[in-house]
Amino acid sequence: MGRSECGHSRQFEANPLVKTALWLAATVLGLGLSPSVEAATTLKLVEVITSPERTETLKSIVKTFEEANPDVRVEITSLPWGPSFEKLATMVAAGDTPDVVEMPDVWLALYANNGALESLEPYLRTWPHTGELNQRTLQLGRAVRSTAYMLPYGFYLRALYYNKKLFAAAGVSTPPRTLDEFVAVSKKVSNLPGKYGYCLRGGAGGVNAWMMFGALANGSDVFFKADGSSTFTDAGWIKGFSTLADIYRSGFAPKDSVNWGYNDIIAGFYSGTCAMIENDPDALIAIAERMKPAEYGIAPWIKGPSGKSFPTIGYTGWSMFANGKHKNLAWKLIATLDGVPGNLVWNRRIGALPIYTAAAKDPLYADARFKAWFDELSDPDVVPMVMPVDLRAWALFASSIVPRTSQSLLLGQITATEMAQQWAQVMTKAKQSQK
Amino acid sequence: MGTGHDQSETEPEVSAIGRRLAIGAEPYLYTAPVLILIVAVMLVPLSVGLSYAFRDIQLLDPYSGGFVGFDHFRELRADSNFRGALFNTLIWTGASVALQFIFGLILALLLNREFPGRRLAQALVFLPWAVPTFLVGLDWAWLFNPVVGPLPGWLFALKITHDTNNLLADPGTALIGPIVASIWWGIPFFAITNLAALQSIPKDLYEAASIDGASVFKQFRSITLPLLAPTLAITILLRTVWVATFADLIVVMTNGGPADSTQIVASYIFTVAFRRLDFGYASSIAAVLLILLFIYALAILSLRRLLVQRQS
Amino acid sequence: MLRRTLYWSSHYLLIGLYVVFALFPLFWLIKVALTPNDLLYSEGIRLWPSRTSLEHFRFVLAHSEFPLFFRNSLIVSSGTAVTVTLISGAAGYGLSRFSFRGKPLLVALMLITQMFPLVMLVAPMFRLLAPLGLTNSLTGLVIVYTAFNAPFATFLMQSFFDAIPKELEEAAMIDGATRFGAFRRIILPLTLPGIAATGGFVFTAAWSELLFALMLNSSSQATTFPVGLLSFVSKFSVDFGQMMAAGVLALIPACLFFLAVQRYLVRGLTAGAVKG
Repeated sequence: MGRSECGHSRQFEANPLVKTALWLAATVLGLGLSPSVEAATTLKLVEVITSPERTETLKSIVKTFEEANPDVRVEITSLPWGPSFEKLATMVAAGDTPDVVEMPDVWLALYANNGALESLEPYLRTWPHTGELNQRTLQLGRAVRSTAYMLPYGFYLRALYYNKKLFAAAGVSTPPRTLDEFVAVSKKVSNLPGKYGYCLRGGAGGVNAWMMFGALANGSDVFFKADGSSTFTDAGWIKGFSTLADIYRSGFAPKDSVNWGYNDIIAGFYSGTCAMIENDPDALIAIAERMKPAEYGIAPWIKGPSGKSFPTIGYTGWSMFANGKHKNLAWKLIATLDGVPGNLVWNRRIGALPIYTAAAKDPLYADARFKAWFDELSDPDVVPMVMPVDLRAWALFASSIVPRTSQSLLLGQITATEMAQQWAQVMTKAKQSQK
Repeated sequence: MGTGHDQSETEPEVSAIGRRLAIGAEPYLYTAPVLILIVAVMLVPLSVGLSYAFRDIQLLDPYSGGFVGFDHFRELRADSNFRGALFNTLIWTGASVALQFIFGLILALLLNREFPGRRLAQALVFLPWAVPTFLVGLDWAWLFNPVVGPLPGWLFALKITHDTNNLLADPGTALIGPIVASIWWGIPFFAITNLAALQSIPKDLYEAASIDGASVFKQFRSITLPLLAPTLAITILLRTVWVATFADLIVVMTNGGPADSTQIVASYIFTVAFRRLDFGYASSIAAVLLILLFIYALAILSLRRLLVQRQS
Repeated sequence: MLRRTLYWSSHYLLIGLYVVFALFPLFWLIKVALTPNDLLYSEGIRLWPSRTSLEHFRFVLAHSEFPLFFRNSLIVSSGTAVTVTLISGAAGYGLSRFSFRGKPLLVALMLITQMFPLVMLVAPMFRLLAPLGLTNSLTGLVIVYTAFNAPFATFLMQSFFDAIPKELEEAAMIDGATRFGAFRRIILPLTLPGIAATGGFVFTAAWSELLFALMLNSSSQATTFPVGLLSFVSKFSVDFGQMMAAGVLALIPACLFFLAVQRYLVRGLTAGAVKG
């Protein structure tokens, strides 16, 4: 009798567990819901080279857009810079696409070739400022299939940063102007105990240096022959690669630098560990914060035996996703970001070179520190080198194959010729399959 | 209770069946929430993820997705990067788990006795487990960096290394960095679980043994180890599986380099998935890893059953 | 007498070594967090900087969105700890007390979920959760973390229940209580310390999870603190000082929580052993 009684009430007793779980779920769900803001239209903007100061500037430019378009609200998502590539790729693959996105040159081919981006050509045709853009802007924006899938907001051109204090200590009076001088100066500085001549970027993002040294020795930045096969196996490229490898192997760069990424070389520079880096104007922001103006200088990038210099030029800009629902509004946002006042404010903050022909006269760029870059741009022997970012396989090549193989070269596991052959194989396949 | 009493008396058959159902359903009721959650949130994505291994999935190419059968596995068989990663995984997992276990067990044995300050010592040595792995990697990378960390200088002064270079930059020694970091982080796990198991061994067993004249080591071998063995098997199994699939420390400290000398299968999967954007191939590697770990799990579990049987 | 002294002095020496080993990296974290930017590299190797400064902590608390991330992490971790304890407690009890058809299958399933590299689950899980509105939400994270931690927590809870003889609730059931009543009134209090320990493990695991917090959530409203730590690495400056300061701040609740529960673990199982 007692047992059947218990049997009946047993089913009731199971409820407390369920009740608790439901209550918990309700509480947590309540906490998870965030309040939504009423707005007629919401545009989603994603930035990928995030940093706190930058986001502030972006917000201020976006505010002018919102004021000009009262019933539009712009929702800014700032992806942490380190994993931004993976994060954006995951979002896009799952269908969570923004309206406007910041698009670096190295990613453009991946998104544009797959039809994810909207062509900006129709909008550019009617935009009043299109004629004021300098020639390079549209040329580079049209890198993929000769269609403007992005509108660049600025350019990144390499120049030579050098540490005046270390130079003085090593008895070097002027920055090197040629490849041979570069190696000689590195050697001199490396003779100082615990100091090195060059901050090598052996890890992520080091592809620019390899291309630059290779092209310098090669005397030309032509990457492919007419039939689409890679030129990397030419003696000139190989000489450049092995010169750079020798700099590391001779101890002119810190042993650690085989793993170094962007932040490591900048830290190496401003901590006075190594005397020279090659980098873009935006590195100036980090360096100026940590070093006094008298301690460092910036010179045009070195020239090779052919008398020519090949600093890499990169660019980032704004793109529109093809599946966006508010394309006209998205264009208006891009136009504001890249418009004449917006773009200048932006570049002042991020330190890129301007897209407008007239902007070169802006007082910002008259600063002595920018002189090196403008000298480069006006020097006929300086050929800004555009890497083959229009190839879909470039992203994998630059982010994975180059670090791995170049590290093998630096560590003496393979020779420069072998590395060049591996690179040529990948590049030829990439170029020929893209035709 | 009163009404229930009456009802059950008037409907004995129904409540008997109901009771049997209730008894039969009981275990399922208790385990249902976990089962439902795991199936819905983990097994469904897992099956989807595994299915990618048989298809061509390029992350950013919406037109990919065709069925390719065993192509990925064929490619995997010839992939030297995978073989290298597998070799590194064995070293990484073996060294990390073995050393965490040994040091964790020693710590557990030390903490198994009452002594003044034991509570404080216990609290302090378990702290590393509370640190997020990203921070652990960063902290140890910092410690090994000759510019900002003390270790290269000390190792050189102790004549353990020939120079004050960063051992993370040398392919021969690079894996040591993440291994040490994982030992630091993982000792508390084994210390806690072993301590708990040790505490459940009745003390009179040891008393009887020492009366019989058995030495400390003999007691350890004949009492502690056998009684500990089933717990050890499970914790070692779980920890091995976690370490094998866990690339966080390596990615933060060396990013798989230099020259892939610290690339393990888990970080290789990440590279293939998010640099080559080839989710199909990455899934096939993950599937192979899954099979290898499953075989390993079966082996450990059979060993455990053997030990439990031998005990009783 | 000499042997006892030798034994205890080596005992204390070893304990001391363990404590130093455990605390030194944490000490270094704090040291970097207190080092002003200009001395970060020039005095990198010193055990203590010549000048300390609270500037990093002040910045993290006042200028970054760190307090928000902290709050989010607190919500997600507590939510996960509570949910896991509930459902894994139930499941662990079920596995401990019953043998039923499907038990080996359940155990196998739980083991398998631990073996798949989580990075491959990101994309399918995103696709699964997005239409349900569970991406960019703290609730979604709680659900995901609960699923991740449930297997291990279940095994842990099972071992705690295993240490308590079945006879206890069986005796109570003979006296007329339901199983659940006996569970609640007799077994639960005995395993409360074990439950606390499991909760502690799960809390710290959820607290430091990075991959899914990064991939599933984008807006800062739903960002947890490990993802927030990443924001200190930007192209303009890697603010290691600030990052370490944020790390130290974030360590505090995790450490406190862990300190509070870890002592229960040992106490809990001792109780079970005495009964046995």
